[in-house]
Amino acid sequence: MDFLVNWISNVPGFAVPFALAALGLILTEKSGVLSLGAEGFMLMGAMAGVGAVILTAQPELALLVAALAAAMVSMIFAVLVVILRVNQVIAGLAMVFLCQGLTSLIATLEGWTSRAIIGLAKLPIPGLADLPVVGRIVFQQDIVVYLTLPIFFAVQWFLTRTETGLKLRAVGENPEAADSAGINVSLYRTGAIAAGAALVGLAGGYLSVAVAKIWVDGMAGGRGWIAIALVIFARWHPWRALFGAVLFGAIEALIPRVAAVGIQVPQYFMLMTPYVATLLVMIWAAMRGNVRLDEPGALGRPHVREERR
Amino acid sequence: MRSSIVKAVVAGSLLAGLSALPALAEFKLDGDPKVAMIIFGPKNDGGWSQAFDEARVRMEESMGTKIPFVDSIPENATAIRPPVELFIQKGYNIIIGSAFGYSDTFKELAEQYPNVAFLNGAGITNGPNLESFYGRTYETQYLCGMAAAAASKTGKLGFVAANPFGLVNWTVNAYELGAKQINPDATTTVIFTGAWNDPVKERAAAEALIEQGIDVIGQHVDTPAAQIVAEEKGVWSTGHHRDLSEFAPKAVQCSSVWVWDKFLDPEIQKIAAGTWEPSPYGAFFHIGNGIDIACCGDQVSEENKAKIMAERQAIIDGKHVFAGPLADRDGNEKVKGGEVLGDGDLWQMDWYVDGVVSQQ
Repeated sequence: MDFLVNWISNVPGFAVPFALAALGLILTEKSGVLSLGAEGFMLMGAMAGVGAVILTAQPELALLVAALAAAMVSMIFAVLVVILRVNQVIAGLAMVFLCQGLTSLIATLEGWTSRAIIGLAKLPIPGLADLPVVGRIVFQQDIVVYLTLPIFFAVQWFLTRTETGLKLRAVGENPEAADSAGINVSLYRTGAIAAGAALVGLAGGYLSVAVAKIWVDGMAGGRGWIAIALVIFARWHPWRALFGAVLFGAIEALIPRVAAVGIQVPQYFMLMTPYVATLLVMIWAAMRGNVRLDEPGALGRPHVREERR
Repeated sequence: MRSSIVKAVVAGSLLAGLSALPALAEFKLDGDPKVAMIIFGPKNDGGWSQAFDEARVRMEESMGTKIPFVDSIPENATAIRPPVELFIQKGYNIIIGSAFGYSDTFKELAEQYPNVAFLNGAGITNGPNLESFYGRTYETQYLCGMAAAAASKTGKLGFVAANPFGLVNWTVNAYELGAKQINPDATTTVIFTGAWNDPVKERAAAEALIEQGIDVIGQHVDTPAAQIVAEEKGVWSTGHHRDLSEFAPKAVQCSSVWVWDKFLDPEIQKIAAGTWEPSPYGAFFHIGNGIDIACCGDQVSEENKAKIMAERQAIIDGKHVFAGPLADRDGNEKVKGGEVLGDGDLWQMDWYVDGVVSQQ
């Protein structure tokens, strides 16, 4: 029982970075921009978050800084893919390498590497936090965990229930038609890149400020790539992405606990499970029919006004 | 007939040996020694790379000259070659590297520049002008295991490590053997994260260990995340690479620390004097040479501290941590009574002593 409570109460902390990153990617990709730079934006958020905590000693503010930093660096990506119409796959990969180098450089120059920071505190809900079992699992989390569901509701509502959201999806499905209808394709895509990167940056900031409470080079550790797989698994649907994120969070929280109680499972098998799960969900998604149906119609395709199709 | 063949073979190999010897001793430095360093990670990473940088600064003082460096050089030839060749062009003739992944490139460079001396920390390649070096971290971790058991109230120790292979397994085993010196019932539960610098996984591992009633956590990874968790949760910890009390002043009771300059300084003097003969198996130094402990924290009693320091002296005087009779945790004999574990077996260690709890 203790094992279960310990495990489940740790799942949200591990799930939130995947969930927010996947949500950010969905937002960007709904506008037809394929964003492979998630790992880089996550690193940028993680590094900026720790830097902000060290400078201001305010973890909540640091999370905003993390989101902002990633949004700012994503403007380079926006210039590349929206204005210069560079191949989006290449531009995304370039962003990953750029951010890896940039975060390492800044953190080394500033001396932020391996520094202990105050980190985001848990926020127990008065009265509810002391409930048996449920109290620890649900009501003793931090503010970002509590806000994750509202953020998901907000993004889902924005995409499906607002005119701006409708226009954004139109740009992603058929930019030519949207263009003829008077929608500014470049503006919508740039906005979607910035907003999406901000969420990915928040995920990165959460990883360093709330989960690890430390910055080291390359600490995103491939979680940005897993978020990209999650988006495909979720077929660009926020709630399915949240489900996938919880699944991955559950696995990440389980691995060390199985080891700590000394259960005899080959450790390389355990370390492999998140990636096997990624493969399995991709296969499952592929077998369920045509993934392309859910994919934004113009995903990865630059919009050039003179080149009507 | 047969004996004459044997004689011929022996004579032949002797000749070959003799002719090989002058080739080894032939290494000669051009001019005065000028040292440059290639550091693997950021020079202020708090661990492995920072230990190199700190040694560099101390060596500058002892040698009375500047030692230029570059840091954050990843383990691939295209990143390693340019700075090394630039240093050599500028006249630097002793190049110090600091990563396992530099091994092959350093070997090529050493062959290309026979008048330049190369030294590489954690490397595996050697030659007439190339020497890899590493420390017997099992000696220091054995002592830190003693400190851990002395600090522990539950007798349950934890260990966060990267991957299970020789030089990690020997630290885990030595930690447990050391702990048993203080508390014969002590156990060491080890979690492998599969990565050298994933603080998310390291924190998760440390928290999971503490949930199980473990109150001292050792480590062999590259970040101080486990120490910081221990500090937060009010338990104790031991460190690796550097004195990690810098990051967790209350928690850290003992650290295995690299003092690379204590190995490099005399090595460079030998190179300058022309008496340097790099070992074909690399340098594998003992405690007190390039490696030592920072001990002890306030949870280790004076009595136990005296025991630890006595063991340290015993090791310096020749005591081997893996002395027989020694069996693995399944009861298979690994070292016979009266013998000690050889260096080859150390590097290949794939077994755990009784008291180590792990998934493999």
